[in-house]
Amino acid sequence: MQRRTLITAGGAALALPVAALAQQSKVPLAPILAPNPQEFRRIVAEFTGGRKPETRGLELDVPVLADNPSGVPVKVVVTEPMTGQDWCEQIIVLAELNPLPLACTLYFTAAAGVAEAAVRARLAQSQTLHALARMKSGRILGASQEVTVAASGCGM
Amino acid sequence: MNAKPPRLWISNAKPRQGEKLRVRAQIEHIMESGLRTDPQGAVRPRNIVSRFEARLNQTLLFAWEPGISIAQDPYIEFAFLARESGELYLRWEDESGQSTSVSRPITVV
Repeated sequence: MQRRTLITAGGAALALPVAALAQQSKVPLAPILAPNPQEFRRIVAEFTGGRKPETRGLELDVPVLADNPSGVPVKVVVTEPMTGQDWCEQIIVLAELNPLPLACTLYFTAAAGVAEAAVRARLAQSQTLHALARMKSGRILGASQEVTVAASGCGM
Repeated sequence: MNAKPPRLWISNAKPRQGEKLRVRAQIEHIMESGLRTDPQGAVRPRNIVSRFEARLNQTLLFAWEPGISIAQDPYIEFAFLARESGELYLRWEDESGQSTSVSRPITVV
């Protein structure tokens, strides 16, 4: 193979993923890694009980660009005051386009007095992460953050 | 479950009354998602850490139930208000039924 042919071939190979991104087409995933939108909607509906999440009171801290999809730092903080009457009981973290969207469930108690936690998630592709919190009073708080994983990225 | 003991960091072992304590902990665990195959093509059976609990003197402070989207060697950080002295006890359990734990004294001054 001549050097020039090689360069052209290499260039074509490099250009391909960019073109694919430009078309907004999703990176092809193995069937086992395909997202499960029904399951995602089911979990959200079950957790919220049909209530619309309030957009204040819950902070979701995720890097906009995650260089390592196998360990994306995810932090959730409830900024609502935790009193003896009303505190955050439960938070779920959802990775919308992961094969199993429910990343984890966090349980808090009045004994702890604050509701904040951080974990590391692994993501199958670039997507939006969601956090939903349920207060003792039944209020639902929600927050979302888009995260782009580095090019080759599947961390599952 | 794991060769090495859990790693644990507490922001202050001798906090003032009502001070917010942050706890960071990590264990070694494969967190096998059940999506991977071995070189022969057979699916590796799922085995993830499914439950983590933090207690202070038997009182539950915080619990965590990871799914398969949680990274290998699971890391967890949480916070609580120091209201009493006692033994902070952390326990992990995986789906194969194995568990590991660590504890550390907290002295409210």
